[in-house]
Amino acid sequence: MISGKKSSKFTANTQLKISPFFERTSKINMSQEWKRWGGFLASTKYDLHHDNEYFAIRTKAGLLDISPLYKYRIKGKDSKLFLNRLVTRNINICEVGQVMYSSWCDENGKVIDDGTIQRLDKEDFRLTSAEPNLYWLELNSYGMDVDIHDESEMISALALQGPNSRDIINSISSKSINDLKFFRIINTDFNGIEVSISRTGYTGDLGYEIWIKPSDSLKIWDILIKKGKDFGITPAGLNALDISRIEASLILLDVDYISSRHALIEDRKSSPYELGLGWTVKLNSGNFIGYKALKNENKNPSHWRFVGIEILWDDLEKLYKKVGLAPDLPHAAWRDSVPLYYNKSQVGYATSGCWSPILKKYIALAHVNSKYSSLDTILDFEIKVEHYRHLTPAKIVKTPFYNPKRKMSCPD
Amino acid sequence: MSRLDKYDAIIIGGGHNGLTAAAYLSKAGKKVLVLERRHVLGGAAVTEEVFPGFKFSVCSYVVSLLKANVIRELMLPRFGLEILPLESTFTPLDNDYLFRTSDYDQTYKEIYRHSKKDAENYTRFGPLMGQVGMAVRPILETIAPNAIRPSINDLLSLKSLLGHVKGLNNETFEYLCKLMTMSSADFLDEWFEFEPLKATMSASGIIGTFMGPRSPGSAYVMLHHYMGDIDGSFRAWGFQRGGTGELSMTIARSAKHFGAEILTEASVDKVIVKNGEAVGVALENGNEYKSDIVISGLDPKLTFLKMIDESDLPEDFVRDIKNFRIRGSSGKVNLALDGLPNFTSLPGDGPHLRGAISISPSYDHLERAYDDAKYGNFSKEPYMDIILPSVLDPTMAPPGKHVMSCFVQYAPYNINGGWDDNKREAFGDAVVNTLSRFAPNIKDLILHRQVLTPMDLEKTFGLTEGNIFHGELTLQQLFSFRPAVKWADYTTPIKNYYQCGSGTHPGGGVTGSPGEMAAKKILKIW
Amino acid sequence: MVDKKFDYIVIGGGINSLISAALLSKKNKSVLLFESCDQIGGMASLNEFSPGFKCNLIYDYIKWIDDRVIKNLKINKSLLEYIENDIYRISLNSNTNDHIFFNRDNNKTVKSIQSISKSDSEKWIDFTNYISKIASFLKPLYKITPPNIQKMGLGDAMSMKEMIKPMWSHGTRGFVDILRTLPMMMPELLDEWFESKLLRGTISASGIHHLNQGPYSAATVLNFLHHNLYSGSHILDANFIKGGVNNFSKVLKNKAIDNGAVIKINSKVISIDCSDDICHGVTLENGEKFFCNNIISGLDQNNTCIKLLGLENLNPNIRTQLNNIKYRGSTARIHFALKTIPKIKGVNNDQLKTVFSITPSINYLEKAFDEVKYGRFSSSPSIEFCIPSLINSGYAPNGKHVLSASIQYIPYKLKNKEWNKSLKDDIIKNVTNILDQYISNFSDIIIDSSISTPLDFENSLGITEGSFNHGDMTLDQFLFMRPTISSSQYRTHIKNLFICGPSTHPGGGLHGSNAFNMVNEILK
Repeated sequence: MISGKKSSKFTANTQLKISPFFERTSKINMSQEWKRWGGFLASTKYDLHHDNEYFAIRTKAGLLDISPLYKYRIKGKDSKLFLNRLVTRNINICEVGQVMYSSWCDENGKVIDDGTIQRLDKEDFRLTSAEPNLYWLELNSYGMDVDIHDESEMISALALQGPNSRDIINSISSKSINDLKFFRIINTDFNGIEVSISRTGYTGDLGYEIWIKPSDSLKIWDILIKKGKDFGITPAGLNALDISRIEASLILLDVDYISSRHALIEDRKSSPYELGLGWTVKLNSGNFIGYKALKNENKNPSHWRFVGIEILWDDLEKLYKKVGLAPDLPHAAWRDSVPLYYNKSQVGYATSGCWSPILKKYIALAHVNSKYSSLDTILDFEIKVEHYRHLTPAKIVKTPFYNPKRKMSCPD
Repeated sequence: MSRLDKYDAIIIGGGHNGLTAAAYLSKAGKKVLVLERRHVLGGAAVTEEVFPGFKFSVCSYVVSLLKANVIRELMLPRFGLEILPLESTFTPLDNDYLFRTSDYDQTYKEIYRHSKKDAENYTRFGPLMGQVGMAVRPILETIAPNAIRPSINDLLSLKSLLGHVKGLNNETFEYLCKLMTMSSADFLDEWFEFEPLKATMSASGIIGTFMGPRSPGSAYVMLHHYMGDIDGSFRAWGFQRGGTGELSMTIARSAKHFGAEILTEASVDKVIVKNGEAVGVALENGNEYKSDIVISGLDPKLTFLKMIDESDLPEDFVRDIKNFRIRGSSGKVNLALDGLPNFTSLPGDGPHLRGAISISPSYDHLERAYDDAKYGNFSKEPYMDIILPSVLDPTMAPPGKHVMSCFVQYAPYNINGGWDDNKREAFGDAVVNTLSRFAPNIKDLILHRQVLTPMDLEKTFGLTEGNIFHGELTLQQLFSFRPAVKWADYTTPIKNYYQCGSGTHPGGGVTGSPGEMAAKKILKIW
Repeated sequence: MVDKKFDYIVIGGGINSLISAALLSKKNKSVLLFESCDQIGGMASLNEFSPGFKCNLIYDYIKWIDDRVIKNLKINKSLLEYIENDIYRISLNSNTNDHIFFNRDNNKTVKSIQSISKSDSEKWIDFTNYISKIASFLKPLYKITPPNIQKMGLGDAMSMKEMIKPMWSHGTRGFVDILRTLPMMMPELLDEWFESKLLRGTISASGIHHLNQGPYSAATVLNFLHHNLYSGSHILDANFIKGGVNNFSKVLKNKAIDNGAVIKINSKVISIDCSDDICHGVTLENGEKFFCNNIISGLDQNNTCIKLLGLENLNPNIRTQLNNIKYRGSTARIHFALKTIPKIKGVNNDQLKTVFSITPSINYLEKAFDEVKYGRFSSSPSIEFCIPSLINSGYAPNGKHVLSASIQYIPYKLKNKEWNKSLKDDIIKNVTNILDQYISNFSDIIIDSSISTPLDFENSLGITEGSFNHGDMTLDQFLFMRPTISSSQYRTHIKNLFICGPSTHPGGGLHGSNAFNMVNEILK
């Protein structure tokens, strides 16, 4: 599928989209394993195993190509009004230079998508999302003085995540980012090339996302790799990211929930409360889409809760021991739905899970009937050991599973 | 074979519905005879070697709606059913093109190139139509109740349908209502903005009908075509290896396997009616065959107005059948080619030649084509749905050569001044000229050309007015009204005379459904 | 500032709004009605288009009025009287000796048809009987609130039992006939009856009347039946009103005032004030605020919801539905001020108090529509005209006359072009030329003329896209889908905001069924 000549520009004969970084990423992808992400070819992993990439994120710095995100620029007099109507959070309190995470819902209070809102200027915002949302944005801005522009292909992006990420950027950026607080964004330049840097990410670690003009993409990549070498910078693929985001308990569209615009039946839809995003719902912030439904839901407890579970090691080990094996742990994060029981009746299902290499725990994210969702409840997790199904205890634990202090702190 | 043999059932017409009914009845242990007028089986679903080495699915050319349970129950794969998927639709434009495939990301990217919003909405449109298709299924699979004097069973099935409708979610119900009543253009306008996309999608709402994309009612026909069901997945279109005729042959083999007798070149002249009861048929060559029941797979006009004397039928029934609209609107042009067409907008060989090629650059293109036909002319620049069977199945043409099948609209049956050889050729020229606008090399490639006007379709296949659906799929000709009220459950006013053609519920297309449902109904009351 | 809190505020002063006000105030409700123009009547207004010359803005005549309105409001003959002329319509033939004269004495109509087709004349009476029979099945449907199919319970089903009544007299066959004919296109229906091009064209014109579709469009028969619901044996009926159509609105206004309703003209409502999906009042253009328990809007959905209610009170699903309503005004009105009485070829001077139509054939109408499909206006339009100054006095100075024509199809929007004066002048010139073929020296007797396109109607009357029906009368905007599937019970998503205009079931025209049904629904 991938073909190329030495020296000349590397191209792939593919109908999928390729990111501006493909020229670099394709050459270092030792495994030549790719996944689809938003119609793009995205590296699953660069090495033959993703371990090194994962540990880079947790102990050094991982560099991830996140260009496939959808990006919408929202400008104009009513842009704040519009975003307040669109998302569940209160945009009024979002200052210029601040970034907010939010979900947005349909009129029945079911989540359509989630993403970040960057306030670039007084009347200038950027919304990122996992799925295309242009139609929804335009539908709901009808009659307002806003200009909505799909700039997905006009901005490429890299995520630099891990404890050393700040040092790497400080070694390149003309401005120090020591003061850049969690969920803030600044404009700076790398060797004269303009970039925006937001202190955001999908790993639950200290990390930054760098927003770049596509034409500057390769230059920025090269600078980062060169300067970052001493700090252990490592290009990381989606496998490493997936483990990191589960450890950080960050939800993934189409895995942990289904967008209400694509859910063909009601049961597939989820409200923010049911996804653990209740904290993003600001009922006093006014009449956003879904406000009424969420206000009602807030009064009565939601049917579902989104929780973190830990599959208890000792029992798991016993199950394997019985058949004469050591516990067989998932190599990468899994994304199938796994039933959860309480007293033999099913009370929920886990949607994604993994072995956490840093915590040395088997963890998963799960939808659980709210009656059985309090902390420390023990549920039964279905597992297949040597072709036979078993139930093994799993405990509801606090999320995020992994939450280092450095994620939010600034150097003194 | 002795003419004194008495059969349990005689089926007039060896089209795919007749054969399906025959297979089901023989499977149930009945002694069945199928009588086909032509030398080949399949009715409108036939493959013929029109020019030496070049095989054509002469009339019906794609398989989409063939029901999965018919395939299973008649064991068709055992008898040669092999359907190759047509995985894409290519719409050449004057300076660009639109190429949709079954891949989500690829199609998203392609539509995004033309319209960002459309790309996004397209990802929702398909699944939603699937939901609506699923909602319509139970309606299509219910034997249409008698609207004048419903029986207990009719009321029960109506009640369960109402329950089904009430159980639909709001969105599905809303779209179902809209699809039943709107024009395909209006319906698509609510979703999309890129005209070639809309025009190509709306085109499935005009196939086989005498309507334009802006005519109300065309949205239903679009839905009808959306219910294609190959391998259980909605919307998939396919091509039977060896041509559509091979599909009929597999059903025929299945019927024979279960014990049916099939006679070709046996043209039925009349159904023999004694004391208001069908007792057999008389052939044009004078032979007579006796049977307990007679089933017609012909269209309603032939089934009743030709096979039966008007005097044997109730007066208002005759009026209803006479008023049944069955206007032919489409022609077929089959080309034997020396090589592959080269489209200006997307030159060379490629995956775009493996699927359907749709000449539908805009609504206006389709509407102008319709306007020509409305006033009694063939379209000067027609709409075309083209496939290249030889690309999917090389046995259809000699090595290196190709066959091209063009389904063409509009060509009215009642053309001003009547069809003649000159008009037929002029129609063929119009098709080739329109095609050469997008693929200029086509004229140099043509080795042979077969042009079929609706008049030819009528003469060759016995399709009244050349209508491929045995009657238009308009709201007043569906369900309990197809082909006439009170007689929409495959029975007829003549005792022991039944109907199983596309002119009955649920209508046209290579579905096997009318044949299956008629056979099941007959077996239930036998 | 009015401190009083009204039971009902009615927005709009058209026929349906006035009926709502009159009926509710009769039930001792306090009602306040706002009309933005300087006269009530809406589409039934009178307008001075040239000094001394007046015209009926949109409707010259009435097809039918809901008998329940007449009865309930006790509108007796002394208040509202039809002018019944023997000849109610003349379909002009290019051969001016062979016009079809539609007469209240059906035998005379038959005779008139005879000269163009014997076979058609023999079928005429049967045809009118057939249509009345079908209409009798449709009538009960016009008097109910459309059911919500998905939530239909026993109660809804019972309310529809009226629909079955005609079956006792006509048998189930009639019921089947209506199901069969409603979705038809005009030529399909007429193929079963007539051969004469002129007669087919004339009848088809009724199927496309005020519609943005050609006769070859499915369900034009529905529109035809809508206009002929109460025509009985007088298919293509037209009733002039003594004092003009505007008199009907005056009668209704007086009834409402007598019953205690307050009516304010020159009062433009600019917002419906609401919080938490409950409305509590309106704000006028001058800033005044009025409070009430319920609001009734006679405006179309675009005005009621998108403009007055405001976007923040519409959820995306409702908005999508509202955006998808098809308005598509199709008809322009041209009014000519004439020096003398026009002399119509082949018609006696004592036969002029009638409606004339120029609809030579189905294909003529369809070709007129074809042009709209491609974004142009019809160069050979369907024309219906009458001479209101002959029917009622006061429309023109002594001896002078007014000729008002409805022209189809004139679209709201043109492709790649904006409406301007010269285009409108072209239409007037074109229509004048066509009329010249039927009226001797027509162009010579014109003093002045005035044209209103659908865009003009939107600007002057505020009706969206100039759609007289507040939404096209198509099958997908009929019954429980009118105006949208979620607001077809005269209710909106705002609990105490009701709608009564032509955008609701059963659609356009000055019949008042919409308002009557809505009041029934409110008081239920």
